[in-house]
Amino acid sequence: MRTKDLITDLWNAGPNALLIVGVVNFLIGAILAFVGLVELRRFAAEIYVTNLVGIACAREISAIMTAIIMAGRTGGAYAARISTMLGNEEIDALKVFGIPISGYILLPAILSLSLMMPLLYLYGTLIGIFGGFVVSMSMMDVSPMGYWMSTVNGVELREFAFGFVKAFFFGSFIALAACRVGLMAGRSAADVGIAATRAVVIGIVGIIAMDAVFAVMANALGI
Amino acid sequence: MPQSDTLISVRDVELSFGPKIIQQNVSFDLKRGSIFAVMGGSGCGKSTLLKSMIGLLPPTTGQILVGGEDYWAQNEHRRTQINHRFGVLFQSGALWSSMTVGENVALPLEMFTTQPPDVVRKLVEVKLGLVGMEQAIDLYPSEISGGMRKRAGLARAIALDPDILFFDEPSAGLDPITSARLDDLILTLRDGLGATIVIVSHELPSLFAIADDGIFLDARTHRPIAHGSPRTLRDNSSIPEVMAFMNRSSTIPTTDETKADRHV
Ligand SMILES: Nc1ncnc2c1ncn2[C@@H]1O[C@H](COP(=O)(O)OP(=O)(O)OP(=O)(O)O)[C@@H](O)[C@H]1O
Ligand SMILES: [Mg+2]
Repeated sequence: MRTKDLITDLWNAGPNALLIVGVVNFLIGAILAFVGLVELRRFAAEIYVTNLVGIACAREISAIMTAIIMAGRTGGAYAARISTMLGNEEIDALKVFGIPISGYILLPAILSLSLMMPLLYLYGTLIGIFGGFVVSMSMMDVSPMGYWMSTVNGVELREFAFGFVKAFFFGSFIALAACRVGLMAGRSAADVGIAATRAVVIGIVGIIAMDAVFAVMANALGI
Repeated sequence: MPQSDTLISVRDVELSFGPKIIQQNVSFDLKRGSIFAVMGGSGCGKSTLLKSMIGLLPPTTGQILVGGEDYWAQNEHRRTQINHRFGVLFQSGALWSSMTVGENVALPLEMFTTQPPDVVRKLVEVKLGLVGMEQAIDLYPSEISGGMRKRAGLARAIALDPDILFFDEPSAGLDPITSARLDDLILTLRDGLGATIVIVSHELPSLFAIADDGIFLDARTHRPIAHGSPRTLRDNSSIPEVMAFMNRSSTIPTTDETKADRHV
């Protein structure tokens, strides 16, 4: 593995994704708060919007949304890149030299996404909570400090841990699936498009299916 | 000839992609130190034959012996070891697009030798100098022309000083002067390093000048139809397809298929 490749991939899977991950999570947090406030208001339980937004983001939504974004941008890019290399005979050239493809092509990609996803998730969750905060500030009567305290009291750390672990698995899955799809692709320009699409679809469906499995497991284990 | 003179022996090999047979009954011996030409019309399976010799496409039947070892009967680990004797120039160049030209040539050196970085850098410059590409050392493959990519691919192929070289159309896309210089380089590689060279080429003058053995693959019958050096084939062959090819003639009656090819 070349350090340069790893750095490029880390950069693309991390800092480069901050804007879109931030925007989407902010809006999700805002929407949750809005819907939650309207409903909770009927029970005079508006303050629990902090729990709603916090737990939903930390436990489920931020991990899933971030993973879906990453499947779309990074998973698709990996599959396209690898299938292009296949079409250009770059992979063949590696094979003939006896340079391991796993180390040179796959490892930087998989490592980058697996490492960056949990960090993006944490960032996304915090932004999501902030989105909820912004909406709540304008719709309900609570001080910023009060909102913050209620969030800290209502959302346990293990929710974050759960999301963090899930995000790691989602990232690894997206990267592995994309690499595999790329390597299995045909060699024409059209095949690159097909590979990219397939990687995204497999990534998104896989993430949601995995999340369901995690939910069942968490329930069984009482997390 | 004595057995030890034969470096690679291709024995009754059949090549196919799924049900589609590309070539069958391919047999020839590659003598140590020879320059072997693989000839034939476009699409007849020349690149495919090379692929089966460098470990990318197992033949459906038949054997390929490298130094007496049945190449495809070995496990992957052993095949990779044998591959270290090979230097391959792909038809498309196949440079690694995420690396500069210099890094492309350097990677095999870094992987398979223990040279310190400054020596690697020197070696890279020397190899690129051989193909007249030293000024492109820091450019990416996307920033150079097709002919330059070919030459960079050639420099990469000879990076580890392999003793068996496979060149798929090395002179395609090169101007006549560079192409002539390439012929000299190929002869130097043979005479200087004692390399054995398999070359796919349509450059007749260059083939006549450098190749001393060869095989002619036919696209229609999916079989080799002539063996021998390009010079001999030019002067002595009585097979219409071979004659037409060697004399760049479009008038010799051949099949409809080849005619159609020629006019595309
Ligand atoms: N991956 C593949 N799958 C299926 N068929 C293939 C594949 N690659 C090549 N072929 C077919 O094999 C035949 C031989 O291809 P090959 O690339 O070996 O031709 P060639 O002799 O090198 O031609 P050219 O001189 O144009 O390079 C062609 O008819 C091509 O359609
Ligand atoms: Mg070819």
